[in-house]
Order: sequence, then C-alpha cells, then structure tokens
Amino acid sequence: MSAPNASAAQIVVENAVVDYVTPSRTVRALDGATLRIPAGQRVGVVGESGSGKSTLGLLLGRLLPSLATATGAVDVAGSPVLELTPAAIARLRRSELAFIAQDAVGSLNPTLRIGRQLSLAMRPAKPAPGELVAMLERVRIRDPERVLRLFPHEISGGMAQRIAIAMAMHRAPRILVADEPTAALDTQVRDEVTRLVFELAREAGSTVLWLSHDLIAVAKWCDRIVVMYGGRVVEDGVAAEVIARPRHPYTAALAASLPARLAPGERLPAITGSPLVLTGPAAGCAFAPRCPFAAEQCSTVRPEPVIRESRGILCHRIDEIPALVAAGATSGETS
Amino acid sequence: MRLLLWLPGRLLGALVVLVGVSILIFAAVRSLPGGYADVILGSLSSPEARAALAEQYGLDKSIPEQYLLWVLSALRGDFGTSMVSQLPVTDEFASRLPLTLGLGVIAIALTVLIGIPLGVYTGTRSTGGRSSVLGRLVSSIGISVPEFVLASVIVFLFSRFALGLRVGNVVSPATDLAASIPTLILPGVVLAVFCIASTARTTRDAVLGVLVEPHVGAAVARGESKGFIIRHHVLRNASIPILTLVATLTAYLLGGAVIVETVFDVPGLGSYLVQALGRRDYAVIQSGVLLATVVFVVMSLLVDVLTGLIDPRVSVAKKGRWA
Repeated sequence: MSAPNASAAQIVVENAVVDYVTPSRTVRALDGATLRIPAGQRVGVVGESGSGKSTLGLLLGRLLPSLATATGAVDVAGSPVLELTPAAIARLRRSELAFIAQDAVGSLNPTLRIGRQLSLAMRPAKPAPGELVAMLERVRIRDPERVLRLFPHEISGGMAQRIAIAMAMHRAPRILVADEPTAALDTQVRDEVTRLVFELAREAGSTVLWLSHDLIAVAKWCDRIVVMYGGRVVEDGVAAEVIARPRHPYTAALAASLPARLAPGERLPAITGSPLVLTGPAAGCAFAPRCPFAAEQCSTVRPEPVIRESRGILCHRIDEIPALVAAGATSGETS
Repeated sequence: MRLLLWLPGRLLGALVVLVGVSILIFAAVRSLPGGYADVILGSLSSPEARAALAEQYGLDKSIPEQYLLWVLSALRGDFGTSMVSQLPVTDEFASRLPLTLGLGVIAIALTVLIGIPLGVYTGTRSTGGRSSVLGRLVSSIGISVPEFVLASVIVFLFSRFALGLRVGNVVSPATDLAASIPTLILPGVVLAVFCIASTARTTRDAVLGVLVEPHVGAAVARGESKGFIIRHHVLRNASIPILTLVATLTAYLLGGAVIVETVFDVPGLGSYLVQALGRRDYAVIQSGVLLATVVFVVMSLLVDVLTGLIDPRVSVAKKGRWA
C-alpha cells in the first residue's frame, strides 16, 4: 500500500489468510491482509480486539496456535516464514525477531529466579560477570543485583515487562513485535515502558511493529500507522497525519473516540454495533454493517486498496465520503 | 531459613497424626470381633487358660493402661511380642522388611525410569497424534488391569516356560543382595505396571498443562529448541504433581503389597500384616499400622519441602504470612 521503497521491504505480508479451526466453528482472523514494511520503520498497528492485529504479529514468527491454518505469503528478512522447517523458523526467531507480550509476568518462568532466566535466554553464550546487571540497568531497573535473585511473582508487572524487554532486546533483533506491552500497566509506568522500548529499538536499529489500542502513543512514537478491521488493513499511512485527518470511516470512528479530542463534559462517541467475527471470507467490506456511509456495493463487493494522499485506503466510497460528511454535518447527526 | 521456622511446626503436626493413629488402631484392634484367645488357644479353651494368656501379654489391664504401657515400651524400641510366634515384633519385621523394601525399590525405580520419560514423550507429541493415542491406551490398560490377573499371568508364564527368571523361592536382599534381585524382579515388575501407567498419565497431563503456559510460548518466540524448552521450562514446572504421585506410590509400596506378595509367595510385610489381622496378633497389627503411618507422614513432609523448593509460589514455608 503506502510503499516508500517497497523493494527494500523487510517484512512482506501478501494476502495472508489465517483461520482458527475448532470442531464447532472456524473463525477467520486474517482475511487477506497485505502489508510491506521497510527496515527500521516504526509501525503502529491499531484496531479493536478481533481486528486481527495480534494474529498478524504472531504470523510473522509463525507463532500461531496449532489450531490455526495460514495461507498467503509471509516474508521476514528474506525468509519465507510459512515454508521454513521447524529448525529454520527457530533460527529466524532467534536471530531476527523478538516478541514482547502483554502478559509480562506470565512470559517469565514462575519457578526460576530472574537471573537464571536471563542467562538461559542468552544461551549458548554465557553471561560475563556483571552482564546481567548491565542488562537490567539498561532497562532502568533499580537495585538490579537484588532483582536478579527474585522470582517472577515477587516483582511488579512494570518490572516484569522491563525484564521481558531486556530479554527481547539483548540480541539487538532486526524486528521487534510488541503486542500491547503496556495494556496491563498503569499510566505512568506505561509511558516509561513505551519510551524504553522505542529508545532501545532505535539504538539497536530494529524495525518495530507496535500492536496497540493506544492511538495517542502510536501518534507519538510511530512513523506509520496501520489500521486493521476484519482481518484486513483498512488504512495505512503516516501516523500523525492519519490520526489527525482519518479518511477511512473506521479510522475516523476510532479517532473520534479518543478522549483527548473532546472538550470537558462532552460525551465520547462510541462506534455503533459490535466488532464482527468472520467465519469465512467477508463478502464485501467487513466494516459495512457498522459504517454510516455504507452503500449497496459495500456489503457485496470486496474493496481493493486505493492510494489517496499517499495512504492506502480500503473503501469503495472513499471519494464520496467528504461530500457525504459535509452534507451530514449541515443536517445534524450523521449516524 | 524460613524452612527452619516452618519445620518444627510441621513436625509437631506429624507427631499429632502419629499419636492419633496409634490411639485409633489400638482401639480398633481391641474392638475386632473374635478374640485372640480363640485363635491362639482354640474356642474350647478353659477360662483359666484364657486368663493366663491375658496376663502374659498384659491384656488383663484396663485399655488406657495397656495403651500407655505400649507407648512407653515403643519409645524404648520395644514394640511387643507376637502372640503367634512368641518372637519380638521388631525381629519379625526385620526379617520381612528387606523383601518389601526390595520390591518397592524395584517398582519405584522402574516407575521413575519408564513412567516419567513415557509421560514426557507422550505429553510433548502433538495431541491427537498416533503416539498420544497409543500412550493413553497403554496407560489406561496399565491402570485398569487388576494386579492379581497380571500376577497370575506372569506366574503362569514363568513357571510353565523357563524364561530365565524364577517364580517363588524368594531370596531376601538381607541375606544375598545379588541373588535376591532375579527372584524379586517379576513381582517388582507386576507392582510397577500400575505405578508406571499412573505416573505416565500424570506426567503427560502435567506436561500438557505447562506447555500451554505463556512462558513456554515466550521461550518458543525466543527461538529456543524444543529439547531446551522441555529441559529448562517444562520438566521442573510439571514436577510437582509427579512428585506427589511418586511419593504416594512409594509410601503405598513400603506398606507392603498384599496381593503380589501372596501370588508370588514373597514373605514380605503386606501379607504378614494381613495374616496378623486374621490371627488377632495385636502387637503386630499396631506396629505395622504405625510403621505405615510413619512412612506416609515422612513422605508427605518430604513432598511439602520439595514442592516449596520447586515452585516458590506455593512455598509452604511462607504460608503463615497470608494464612
């Protein structure tokens, strides 16, 4: 879509389809997602729960649960992820990728001390004396000697997330996938942890895929924003511009629900309807049932991405909407 | 450090259990219908002979008095005399304990060496695969085949065809360790079948439970190999239920395996205690039950300590802080 130096893309996801197949039903998490990310870019991937952003993140490391089936092309640092042998995908995860999860305490082994886990994660290299302490100092943990001796249940969520970040960034990964790493943290800690991730990623020169609900953090830290809905990318462009002037109706609705945009006392607009659960390919635009501008073709014809103002947008009526908004604004309510 | 504070309390608890069990068993044997005198002297014996017998074993005294005397002499290491053989209970036990121990050691060794690796193997293969179905089938059969059936089949096979191992004519490990092993292998294997099957099943479930934990997912995402993850992030975390089961099985085996001892004609503790029960041999029954209780109490103490060391979250030593 928006393709600055698309030829040098480090991550290429082409028409990725992922289904979660259970005996009772099939849920489609990615419905033909397409995305190219050049090395070093910091990309915020946003969307409601169920939009497919976590699945996209897992897909890059082929970390989907065993009940998932994936088709399409996924290329990470030149390797075709879906075709690699188990040993090769493990090597790719080790050498190129790093993941940070939301549940930081859960991502640590509850039976091992922090120091032991860090040195296990460094294998086959053995930590030099003082190296573990330095690792914790890099993620700004106070009193690292003491923390190394603690067990995961003895530390706070924020500290656990710093330790997970230290583990992830230790190898200076080329690609960092962070799936809502701050969602479980309180506001103050959230800002510190976010800053830490982006600073360490900048030092290491890592590409960042920041999967988030937090549009404000994405606007602040990311170069680019990718908005997902119903397992497809619906809008893709420069982060600050897209959030300031969203074009896709879904992005507009997301941006309108930002509390910071409102005057005190004003009611937050909610997106009407509930997020959809796909069980197969969407017949038309997945957002059509909730879209205030939906026309007949929206629910019957699958939209293809178009480029407007150097953004990729997935909408049939993209060129008509400004006029519709203007008309709606004069007559009062739009929805 | 915390352990040192916790241990005395736990030992006190164990002592209370022992005293409670000793009182219960003491009362229980005395309330059994059919007196010891009928067994030893016959039902037509004279009242005088019965009175003399009661006096000989101190059974003419009041029951609380008998209990105190028994406890006091037990504390001195004297557990009384068997009314049937006229020998001290300690001697009777000493001649049988090595056989029971030998059987127990063989069965537990096989359990640990076969059951745990089998469980880890089936637990780490993909679920629904052939190996996992096979694993479940084998463990179900192993758990559900009754010991007397398996024991009889083995006795038949090995006594009918010379397959290198003997049935019967058991040699005690106390007299000749090397010679005893071939004679104890078959009953040991029969005992081990149930233990292996249940341990494999428990291990498999525990491993499957740990494999879906997020920290294992995190290790996979770091690109760790399967073997590395199993060694460092699965086995230790899965070991608590396995440890609990193996300890329980050990305690159970050390109490004597009545059926296997009977079928294979092994003069061990289990069959001896059942005989003693039939003969109303009070001192033997009391001491046997007490011994089994001690074994269980010690095992559960051991499991508690190890559980706390394996998983700090369930450290028993710290319970006081929240309880």
